[in-house]
Amino acid sequence: MNDLLVMGLEAAVLVAGLAVLLLDLWTPPAEKRNLGYAAAIAVGAILLASFAIVLPRPLAAFGGMFVLDEFALFFDRFFLLAALLVLVISVEFADRFETGVAEFYALILFALAGMMFAASANDFTLLFVSLELITVTFYVLTSFQRRQTQSLEAGVKYLILGALSSAFLVYGIALIYGTAGTMSFTRLAEAAPAVLDSRLLQTGLLLVLVGLGFKIAVVPFQIWAPDVYQGAPTPATAFLAVGSKAAGFVLLLRVLFTAVPALGPRWSRLLIVLSAVTILYGVLCAIPQRNLKRLMGYSSIANAGFLLLGVATLSRDGVSAVLYYLGGYLFTVLGAFAVICVALRHTEGEDIPALAGLHQRSPLLAATLAMAMVSLAGVPPLAGFFGKFLLLKSALMVAGDQPALYVLVAVAVVGVVISLYYYFGVIRAMYWPAEPVEQGHLPPIQLSRPLRWSLLLCIAGMLWLGVLPGMVVNLANLAAQTLLP
Amino acid sequence: MPADGHPYLFLALFAGAAVVFCLSLLGLARLWAMLVSPAKPGPTKNAPYECSLASQGDAWVQFRSAYYLYAIIFLVFDVETVFLLPFAVAFTHLSVGAFVAMMVFLLLLVEGLVWAWRKGALAWH
Amino acid sequence: MTTLQSYLILSALLFSIGLAGALTRRNAILVLIGIELMLNAANLNFIAFWRYGPHPEALTGVMFALFSIGVAAAEAAVGLALIIAIYRHYKTANLDKVTTLKG
Repeated sequence: MNDLLVMGLEAAVLVAGLAVLLLDLWTPPAEKRNLGYAAAIAVGAILLASFAIVLPRPLAAFGGMFVLDEFALFFDRFFLLAALLVLVISVEFADRFETGVAEFYALILFALAGMMFAASANDFTLLFVSLELITVTFYVLTSFQRRQTQSLEAGVKYLILGALSSAFLVYGIALIYGTAGTMSFTRLAEAAPAVLDSRLLQTGLLLVLVGLGFKIAVVPFQIWAPDVYQGAPTPATAFLAVGSKAAGFVLLLRVLFTAVPALGPRWSRLLIVLSAVTILYGVLCAIPQRNLKRLMGYSSIANAGFLLLGVATLSRDGVSAVLYYLGGYLFTVLGAFAVICVALRHTEGEDIPALAGLHQRSPLLAATLAMAMVSLAGVPPLAGFFGKFLLLKSALMVAGDQPALYVLVAVAVVGVVISLYYYFGVIRAMYWPAEPVEQGHLPPIQLSRPLRWSLLLCIAGMLWLGVLPGMVVNLANLAAQTLLP
Repeated sequence: MPADGHPYLFLALFAGAAVVFCLSLLGLARLWAMLVSPAKPGPTKNAPYECSLASQGDAWVQFRSAYYLYAIIFLVFDVETVFLLPFAVAFTHLSVGAFVAMMVFLLLLVEGLVWAWRKGALAWH
Repeated sequence: MTTLQSYLILSALLFSIGLAGALTRRNAILVLIGIELMLNAANLNFIAFWRYGPHPEALTGVMFALFSIGVAAAEAAVGLALIIAIYRHYKTANLDKVTTLKG
């Protein structure tokens, strides 16, 4: 029973998901939409409960397969907060689903549980099962508008490429198991120095990197991202951008630093190259985009590159910067997607010029999107700036040992400069459109109260992490410390 | 990894055999197609039967979608029983906690069934 | 060649056949079948490594294979449902026809 207590947060999320599924059966159709608020309240309660957990030392369950340490707890809170905001966005989106509104909420909760399990994974078995729980759930979430061509197409593309990448992942795990004789990260770290030279082990780890690289959307495994981001229902895209990507990173960090710490220096070059290519690909391909969601897809690829930069430093500061950056990314991207979700239904098409005059229709929406773009572009004083600053700083601190990092930092700076162009293109389209909109021509957009609070929360988060970074930096440092003592 | 201590030789064999086997199959198929059956499609040749009546409709008959729904539900429940096998084998040595965990697993399956039932997925419309 | 090696080569062949199928086929169902072959190749590896490895008394390998089978079933169920939805919409399961998202 002790084991179950250690994974209490995950169990609570699963129970909430099952409860939503069962409640749906006896809820009148008109009320189904509000189940989303019930789910959001449950997630919020679990988030609050997570702050009551005090960890004098890391806890382990199921024979060390599952660990609850500060690192896992940081990500548990991250995922819970992300899911809370995504659920509020989903309620706004709910009337566009013909059927299965409650199932959409339940699937978000199941994906959340998968992400939280991923945060605590200390064994390749749990890594695989949690990753698949996330991925299979997202196949359904992506194709949820099953009468819309785009949604179906996004779903089938994600399915084929996702299934292919998980086949590589499983094969990689098999090779690792065969070489090291264990699947536990801790025991692998003990066994690794003796077998690290084995090509079979390295092949296995490389295949695992393929599987995780797919989740993170790192070049060359990024092909799915723009299509899926564009075609999927907006709340699913939002959760994919934040939750799924962070889950990929949490597993990558665990594998690199807990399972095979000796491998880091050997892979340093590889990670640096991947990071540089990903940043450049993301920013260059984003330039000609007109569709807002597709632009966010390329932006998410570029951001995966920036996050990978922090991983490539292989230092505690780098990991801490990754965690901080993800925190800022959460508020920024979810704020942007909340606006996209509401604004796009009142505009014609999803193209960026359709945003013209948004500030007249709803100042709050326009302000949130503008701030999100400023933050993504890395302009002070918002969260994105400080996150990029920490990432680059951590890279420069260890660049003496690995001169290739200087090149990577230069590439990242170039990437930031290029990205200013398309992020500010969005702002310009809202406030200074090419074809001015007549005053009073467009009806104002009404916002529901939960959505307004969520938007304000995202704005507050972006400002808070940008202006007063101290507290989150401390949390990130604490979490990074458990990984790299 | 291998017991006789030739990891590189083995790996080369491993990769080489995989690639060669794969390519040779594809190559053989292509060779066969080129040598033995030059492509000369025609309406008569493409017909399933050269004599007798022309076949009607597509061979890929569409089944009713309710059939697929059954099949998918069956697939999931059928495969989940794989987890019952180790449970049954180790039954006599199980602790109470493990037993309870397995009951929870079964309860989850039952919940899935109840959900599918109430949603009308089991009714043949 | 030891028994383990022959199993590993068999599994590598199976994996390659699956990969070749997944990459060359255009029908979504056949692509999924190819991917299932790749997963089963990995399962075969697990069982072989467990049976001929140094610790056959620890059941990790078998356990992973069971999980992998379970997950593959879930993936197949979702995949088939998705392909049926695609088929209803496009009247084809050919992946080359499913291309409206570009850019």
